[in-house]
Amino acid sequence: MQKENFFKKYWLVMLTGLLVGAAAVALTAFGNPANMGFCIACFLRDIAGSLKLHGAGVVQYFRPEIVGIVAGACIMALIGKEFKPKAGSSPVIRFTLGAAVMVGALVFLGCPLRMVIRIGGGDLNAIIGLAGFVLGILIGIFFLKHNFSLGRAYKQGKVEGLAFPVMLIAGFVLTLISVSFFAVSTEGPGSMHAPILLALGIGLVVGALAQKSRLCMVGGLRDAVMFKEFGLLAGFGCILVAVLVGNAILGNLKFGFEGQPIAHTEWLWNLLGMTVVGWGCTLLGGCPLRQLILAGEGNSDSAITVLGMIAGAAAAHTLKTASSADGTGVNGPIATIVCLAVCLLVSVTHLKKEQ
Amino acid sequence: MTNYLATFHTHLAALKTHRSLTAAGLAARMAPVPRRISSSCGTCVLYSAENPCYDKLDTDTEAVYLLNEDGTAALLREFE
Repeated sequence: MQKENFFKKYWLVMLTGLLVGAAAVALTAFGNPANMGFCIACFLRDIAGSLKLHGAGVVQYFRPEIVGIVAGACIMALIGKEFKPKAGSSPVIRFTLGAAVMVGALVFLGCPLRMVIRIGGGDLNAIIGLAGFVLGILIGIFFLKHNFSLGRAYKQGKVEGLAFPVMLIAGFVLTLISVSFFAVSTEGPGSMHAPILLALGIGLVVGALAQKSRLCMVGGLRDAVMFKEFGLLAGFGCILVAVLVGNAILGNLKFGFEGQPIAHTEWLWNLLGMTVVGWGCTLLGGCPLRQLILAGEGNSDSAITVLGMIAGAAAAHTLKTASSADGTGVNGPIATIVCLAVCLLVSVTHLKKEQ
Repeated sequence: MTNYLATFHTHLAALKTHRSLTAAGLAARMAPVPRRISSSCGTCVLYSAENPCYDKLDTDTEAVYLLNEDGTAALLREFE
């Protein structure tokens, strides 16, 4: 009976998880880099590159998946009368946390979604990333339980809420009009991509379903620890199952630490990079995927967070803090420590006193 | 006793309301906001009381719902 209720209650988030996992495997089969069918951090980093916000020639491409996710969530929210523009919850702090999360993600080489996808490809370095991610979320929960708050948001007009999704769609239209508007890598991960319309279409479906189901990598662990609610965590698990099965079918499953696609083996920085991501995202109230969905629902605070992530990606490559398959960037370790310090500073300065 | 559900603009507001309700001796618990009520992934407080206890809710309360026996929820009051 308990099991029946669980499936009845959470079937949509579990289905979304399975589809996201399957989509990730499919996107890789159609051209995206290995174990990078879906990675919000990598895709935002590629978009930053396509705008020449950084000069790393191998990671420049205006990823249609990001446009699809935001537009899909926006359309679904409009249909369901859940498009509710709001803003005003510590925007600069959110921008900063978004940038810190991105720097941490690029030390590990992936957002929480790619972390799961990497585990599903057999990359054991991502298990260490997962340990850091859980650690970061637990630290974040500690502060949530001790009165941490970034303050409330307030209602805004429709134009404010639509600005970010429209901006992304306009960028996508420009890529269709002329490839010369944005930089495109000729080698490396940025040069590897699924056909544009397929990537957009999959992004739209994932965005719509994630809006309906509230799929969130951080929310899953947070709800499980704080409220003993395991629905979102089940979605997280379903992504892993789908990727594992998909990779096994396609013969892409290879367990080990060494030689994994777009990954390195420096365990301490894999761990601490994802600690930054877990901690920062818990303070922000959602993982990078969830921030895209909320931005699609008209939440300008999340849009600012995404812009912070794009800025963080640009900084990570310009300041050489991003890792590569060869290992951490020359400034990666110090940047990770700085980002942990930023998370700590934001955490302790936003503990509200009891009235 | 009637069952109520309150949603909030921040997690902190839910935390403070939960403390205030339990300090008054009422049965209250925090949980993720049910999907059918909102697309936001915030925290709500479920509580049982004779009345909605508006005076015990935090200033950042978003809305209060009446929970019916059949599991449906009816909006009682929306706050700014």
